[in-house]
Amino acid sequence: MSNIYKAFENKKAFIPFITCGDPDLETTGKIVREAVKNGASLVELGIPFSDPTAEGPVIQGANLRALNGGVTTDKIFDFVKELRKDITVPMVFMTYANVVFSYGSERFIKTCSEIGIDGIILPDLPFEEKEEFLPECHKYGVDLISLIAPTSKDRVAMIAKEAEGFIYLVSSLGVTGTRTEINTDLDSIVKIIRENTNVPCAIGFGISTPEQAKKMAAVSDGAIVGSAIIKIMEKYGKESPAYVGEYVKSMVDAI
Amino acid sequence: MTKIKLCGLSRPEDIECANSLKPDFIGFVFYKNSKRFVDREKAKILKNMLDKDIKAVGVFVDEDIDFVASLLRDEIIDIAQLHGNEDENYIKDLKTLSGKPVIKAVRVTSEEDIKTANDSPADFVLLDSGMGGGKVFDWNLLKEVKRDYFLAGGLTLENAAEAADTLKPFAVDVSSGIETDGYKDPEKMKQFMAAVKERGNTMNNNENPARFGIHGGQYIPETLMNAVIELEKAYNHYKNDPEFNRELTELLNEYAGRPSRLYYAEKMTKDLGGAKIYLKREDLNHTGAHKINNVLGQALLAKKMGKTRLIAETGAGQHGVATATAAALMGMECVVFMGEEDTKRQALNVYRMRLLGAEVIPVTTGTATLKDAVSEAMREWTKRIDDTHYCLGSVMGPHPFPTIVRDFQAVISKEIKEQMLEKEGRLPDAVLACVGGGSNAIGTFYNFINDKEVRLIGCEAAGRGVDTYETAATIATGKLGIFHGMKSYFCQDEYGQIAPVYSISAGLDYPGIGPEHAYLHDIGRAEYVPVTDEEAVQAFEYLAKTEGIIPAIESAHAISYAMKIAPTMSKDQIIVITVSGRGDKDCAAIARYRGEDINE
Repeated sequence: MSNIYKAFENKKAFIPFITCGDPDLETTGKIVREAVKNGASLVELGIPFSDPTAEGPVIQGANLRALNGGVTTDKIFDFVKELRKDITVPMVFMTYANVVFSYGSERFIKTCSEIGIDGIILPDLPFEEKEEFLPECHKYGVDLISLIAPTSKDRVAMIAKEAEGFIYLVSSLGVTGTRTEINTDLDSIVKIIRENTNVPCAIGFGISTPEQAKKMAAVSDGAIVGSAIIKIMEKYGKESPAYVGEYVKSMVDAI
Repeated sequence: MTKIKLCGLSRPEDIECANSLKPDFIGFVFYKNSKRFVDREKAKILKNMLDKDIKAVGVFVDEDIDFVASLLRDEIIDIAQLHGNEDENYIKDLKTLSGKPVIKAVRVTSEEDIKTANDSPADFVLLDSGMGGGKVFDWNLLKEVKRDYFLAGGLTLENAAEAADTLKPFAVDVSSGIETDGYKDPEKMKQFMAAVKERGNTMNNNENPARFGIHGGQYIPETLMNAVIELEKAYNHYKNDPEFNRELTELLNEYAGRPSRLYYAEKMTKDLGGAKIYLKREDLNHTGAHKINNVLGQALLAKKMGKTRLIAETGAGQHGVATATAAALMGMECVVFMGEEDTKRQALNVYRMRLLGAEVIPVTTGTATLKDAVSEAMREWTKRIDDTHYCLGSVMGPHPFPTIVRDFQAVISKEIKEQMLEKEGRLPDAVLACVGGGSNAIGTFYNFINDKEVRLIGCEAAGRGVDTYETAATIATGKLGIFHGMKSYFCQDEYGQIAPVYSISAGLDYPGIGPEHAYLHDIGRAEYVPVTDEEAVQAFEYLAKTEGIIPAIESAHAISYAMKIAPTMSKDQIIVITVSGRGDKDCAAIARYRGEDINE
């Protein structure tokens, strides 16, 4: 078991998603430190992928900017190693199956464990395919995070039973991106999750305002926010760390 | 399809035999009182010899849990099978310690035992008459089993085939039934495998494997999982439904104009001076390409499933036009995603789709070509699933698409075979088709896969050459990866970033290849060859001038390779080239390639 549970101990977790290398790794480091300083309890670091099929335009743009800036998996590993010297909250990678697979699954996951990455989120790896990486994840103590969607229905219990680290509950249909309204009946999905596991559950996709974060965290164990932060990074570039810190504080206060 | 476990292998020659037969599982017995006992060292040697596609199961009776876990961790075995009094805690602990699957054997003598089997926390149960005594138990009890199980106990050639046929267990497990004088008998092993496979297949053809060798699978967001499961169920139901098949055949024949002609290209044959050349004229289908075969099948299926909206990706625009056509015919809404780059190269097809009532959405992300259109169609499907079917155009994407599209395109090789037997009284020596994702190629190959004397040749788009970055030849330049829902070969960099591929042909301009092609390549059953832009354009012009047929630039890749090999073959040999589509759509682009600007 990893340290992910610590992010949820006696509190609701606020989980920012940050694409590594947008606009450069130095800025990413500053953003992560600002976010943690302002109360982020778990950080989701994106390793960019050329064709992120689960992302909306905002995070697609971040992936593209980061890759054009020359960031690579190896550079991100070095960056995390450096970050781990002072950042103690749990951190997970969010990327796509091919990034892990092409690096060599064992080599990738072993490195995660060595540099202090607690888990991996792969949006294109459903329950049926998790054996692709699970043996290595178990071997090196890195949690493979399961996603549950509004369309999961009869699959919720099955996924929850075997979940590790935390459950990423997708709030709405579609891809990542901010939404004005979230209408999914999340209460009943969370209820089934609770009946099947003690692993905490955080909600992501479409959350941007403190009000939304408060509402989502109230029915679950935390809120994950990506696109809203990436928008700040897109707008302010190298000047964005302070703005992200301010935003994270408003979200943490709300939940 | 019922899987097969050959248990109690203990000698190197047993492993050699298993490697040639490829059962799904083999078993090593770690129970000291068994005459088939192997120890850790021996098992390690045997496992090293074993084909990596075959899973090794270790069989134990009340063994020390740390010993079992260490065998699993060291990959001497892949699965543990427990035959003693191991309780729930033992099973759970072993799973935690090893992270590997566990099979619990249950001796079935009463209904109570079935309940035990249903409640076991093990990944699978193995139902047995006893301690491998070779006695058959009352199979009627099995009706109440609520989970996948291995059937064991007294199985022989005859009753295992019957079991595969009637009970449809997850797997059958045999040991003494494949022995002579206490040793594994290669001939009996072979016969056992053949009998179970034959009966299990014919009666169980509702099931499609999700993989072709190591390729395929379902690497898609959780949001789409129930949609593909629903699609698979519907397909398995309707593909054997006589009414569905009657409707589809009528559409293919009366609306699309099938069967398509198998035309003897006499002038081309004489000009090249070698093998006799036939052209399978998919270009004569309604909408001008093979794409309509698949689309009519999927649209009809979607309609039966109650869907009212079709979405599709398109490269050259042929699949988009076919989807728009089927949607118009069946009164469905249609949205087509097309790379912006391709909307320029194939402006005529954009107009056709709009004329047919479809909405065409130009995709500007990435390289703005086919791969980006697929990504965008997938994103759209996650937004709106209830009323929408994603009509995927090639033998790619997540299971069950590669199987569904292949089955709907297999009509091509079914007809070639019939027409060839009628015209020549024999099978061709080679069949050729162009490959992007690979739908017309798999359609051309499929009914010849078991005819080993027929060469299967797929022609990839090499763009400006396989030694340049401007290529889309996946088999020639790609490596194994996971993308667009499948494991297969992809053009990518060392970090797994998908490469911006290039070909003059929008329909072949894709960085991956369908998983069944990747498999046919792995096992050496099909050959894949690169053809450059320049070679394809020459073939495009050649066929126009020689036979009065303007092929699609995609199909011209196959024509080009045929022009290379036909002269090297003898006059009594026969090759068939699938002309997957017509070339009207390409005329402006080819003119530009030759430095001439024409107004469409």
